[in-house]
Amino acid sequence: MASPPEYDLQLTSVDDVIADSKASTSNQQTRKRPVVVVDDQHPFDLDAYMGAYTGRTAISRLLYISEASRMLAPQALLQAIKLLKSTQDTTTYLSAVQTYNSLPSVSKPISVDTRWVDQTQANVANESERLEVELKSYLSNMIKESTRMGHRDLANHFAALGDYQSAILHYNKSREYSTTSRHILEQCLSVLELVIEHQNYAHIATYVFKAEGALDIPSPTAKKASLTQTLPPQTAAQAAQASSDHAKVQAKLDFASALAHMTAGRYDKAAYQFSKLGKGLSDWFGTVISPADVAIYATMCALAGLSRSAIKASLLENDTFGFYLQQESYVRELLDAYMASKFKLVLELLEKHSTRHLLDIHLGALWPDMQKRITNRSLVMYFQPFSSVRLDKMATAFGFELVELERLVVALIQDGSIKARVDSHNKILKARDLDQRALTYNQAFKAGAEMEASTRKLLLRMKLMQADLIVKGKKGANKGQGQEEISHEHMQMSMMRDEGFVMMD
Amino acid sequence: MNTHGLLSELLKPKEKASEHLDVLRSVLKQREGGEAVLSGGLEGGEDPLEILNPAINTLGVLFMMSSRLQNQSSPPVRPQLIANFCNVFEPEAARLAPERVTLLARGILRSSVSAKAAIPLLLTLLTRYAPNLSYLTTIHPVFLEACVSSSHFTHALPVLRVPITKIDKSLSDLHYNDNLQYHYYGGVVFAALKKYKEAEEFFEIVVSSPAQVPAALQLEAYKKLVLIQLISHGKLQPVPKYTHALISRALKNNSPYVILTKAYPAPQEVLTALLEKEIQAFAADGNTGLATQAIQRSPRWILKKLTETYLTLSLSEISQVIGISSEAEVRALVLSMIEMREIHASLSPTGTLTFLDDPSANAESVDKLLRDAQELGRSLAELDRELGIGREFLSKALKDGGQSENAGIAFMSEDADIWGSGMPGPHSSAAPNW
Repeated sequence: MASPPEYDLQLTSVDDVIADSKASTSNQQTRKRPVVVVDDQHPFDLDAYMGAYTGRTAISRLLYISEASRMLAPQALLQAIKLLKSTQDTTTYLSAVQTYNSLPSVSKPISVDTRWVDQTQANVANESERLEVELKSYLSNMIKESTRMGHRDLANHFAALGDYQSAILHYNKSREYSTTSRHILEQCLSVLELVIEHQNYAHIATYVFKAEGALDIPSPTAKKASLTQTLPPQTAAQAAQASSDHAKVQAKLDFASALAHMTAGRYDKAAYQFSKLGKGLSDWFGTVISPADVAIYATMCALAGLSRSAIKASLLENDTFGFYLQQESYVRELLDAYMASKFKLVLELLEKHSTRHLLDIHLGALWPDMQKRITNRSLVMYFQPFSSVRLDKMATAFGFELVELERLVVALIQDGSIKARVDSHNKILKARDLDQRALTYNQAFKAGAEMEASTRKLLLRMKLMQADLIVKGKKGANKGQGQEEISHEHMQMSMMRDEGFVMMD
Repeated sequence: MNTHGLLSELLKPKEKASEHLDVLRSVLKQREGGEAVLSGGLEGGEDPLEILNPAINTLGVLFMMSSRLQNQSSPPVRPQLIANFCNVFEPEAARLAPERVTLLARGILRSSVSAKAAIPLLLTLLTRYAPNLSYLTTIHPVFLEACVSSSHFTHALPVLRVPITKIDKSLSDLHYNDNLQYHYYGGVVFAALKKYKEAEEFFEIVVSSPAQVPAALQLEAYKKLVLIQLISHGKLQPVPKYTHALISRALKNNSPYVILTKAYPAPQEVLTALLEKEIQAFAADGNTGLATQAIQRSPRWILKKLTETYLTLSLSEISQVIGISSEAEVRALVLSMIEMREIHASLSPTGTLTFLDDPSANAESVDKLLRDAQELGRSLAELDRELGIGREFLSKALKDGGQSENAGIAFMSEDADIWGSGMPGPHSSAAPNW
């Protein structure tokens, strides 16, 4: 899987981020969806899962599941349709009904509730018109604050309708009329919610960057608080309020950028960001994400990207993260197994819960790659303390077939992750003890010979330049033409020569 | 002046060969066809070349012979005469007229009955004309052309074995194409003799020759270089940094060479299918032979890669990986690779191949390397001295005023010291900085 080039969030200009984001969005679209199986070995309880979400994210998740799994599609779509009727989003409703009716496993098609659709559409049209008229009057009055609010209301309206493009457009417009950093923050967070919902991860960095800029500017209340030495009780309360707001916003931004790191394949950075999340994220629980999700993302990223000691420090011994670890029981089990080097159990747990991961709206597309990485890292870690290992024992420890294990190990040797060689006859993996002395000698020989040859060639080149024997384009003639001419002259020669090679073969 | 007059003028004893040169040059400047006078016969039907002694009248014979060989309509020269000239001519005199030597060399190749017949003549001419073989002359490419077009590759080896290090334009009226052609043909000769290391070096010289605009010959050489690198390294090697950027970029991503390089090494069937698809492109460049050889060597590279990964392998496993089904063939391949020291391994009678570590260096080879390095250091020091006393360097140093003059001397003395102490190694790498 191609991951976009790494960039430092703090240093890149917004233009870069946008340019970069375009490249990676196209990546995402070409990403293939894996086939998801739900059976006894891979349990998945849709109702329990969906219980953690409300609002638009619930709908998005249901639709994602309906696309990813054929088995769960009818159930998921029915739930989605039910939820959609409580919104104003008729477009998604209609398409969901249509998808449901075209499912091969559905015997009783459901009919569209036309009355509801017509009524909602009428309402929506009215509302849109009202908001736009308002916005126009604000614009002509040139009142900045009202204009901002006009845009924001329109954006919220479109977001409720599921019109992602228009919503983003109006949120961005509203920022142009923002006067305080608070407004900018508000706008950025709204956009982030939308972007995350629509899996447009590449844009996250841009808005996190903007929001952090706004967050650093102290709000007027905070300034006042720091100026007055003796705090009246009311202001003190305000200050406390402000600082907790600040923490909340920061947590949201951290989560968003962790998500961006994860979806771009930078699992180590993502794991760190996730593990730092405090409880400040509670506003987004349910509407954007569930605490269990955070636990899963953090754990999987850590397993795929962090060293054992880092996992211990950032996840297991991290008090703030302990809250998240309680949310999903198997996550702790998984981490404990990994720390105890019970790799077979690790892989079994991963396999068992792979359905849960594959059906996750954010993790789904990444999961096959992550699972592969975790397996590979486990293999590397297993071999580390040994100088030789019997492949069949290793296969048992991981619960693999011998052939499968050998294939994996050979791939790891070839990409340099394991410094060892396979004794294919006796099925033993042996660490490579390199004779550094011999290696150095051989390298010195090679370097010496290379240097001699290159010096000789450089001398000739120097002489050629001194004598002005430099290939020049023909004067007046087009450069390309000049080349062509010589090329014909020599074409004949090269023909002749090749007969020579063939004869010598 | 007519031919007769010229002949009698040439027969007059002169103190210096340069006087003959003046006469001959003035003939060439004549209005009514100087070349005609030079290539003309005598009234009695006698051949002036039979009369002149090439050992004494080197310039006269050189001018007349080159003119006759050049001119299709003039009477042919007896082959015996050419051979005689090549054997006895006076090099110092001939060097006064390098442009005629170029003409003569080309004339010899054109007029001889077969390219093969021209080889000994050109070889004698070349070895006697150049002060030593490290000088490049215009005869070099002509000689190699004769060798290559007659497929007598081994004849070229004595000349090719001496690397060109000296370029003297007053010795030979060189054109950049002479350098490119010589090294290109040299690469072709080595490639045909399966001496890939040398071939690679020669093609690399062509590719990396100084250029404002890459020549088509350089591009052709690059294609051959790519194939040769596949044969001798199993993968593409970077070209020297000073190579013109357009050359390596000239091969587009969809070119058969790039496709082949990316797929390499792979089982032969895959590569052969690839070759057959692009056969026209390779044939048009005259590279089918090389490409086929590269493909034939592909199993060796796959096997070599396996040494990094495995300690032991059975022949049947190897045959699976490299895509050769016959075990006897695999066994032969493995044995030949062990013999050629391409892999270090031993083959048990039961068909298990055990890879061993590369043998480490011994003291003798270290000594030899040190000697080589010292030799190179000395030759660089010599070169530095030559450069230091050269007119160009001195005038530049003087022009820049006293300050940099001192700097120049300081630089030289410092360097002389380094080489004098016989220390090779890091300092030699300073050479490219000049």
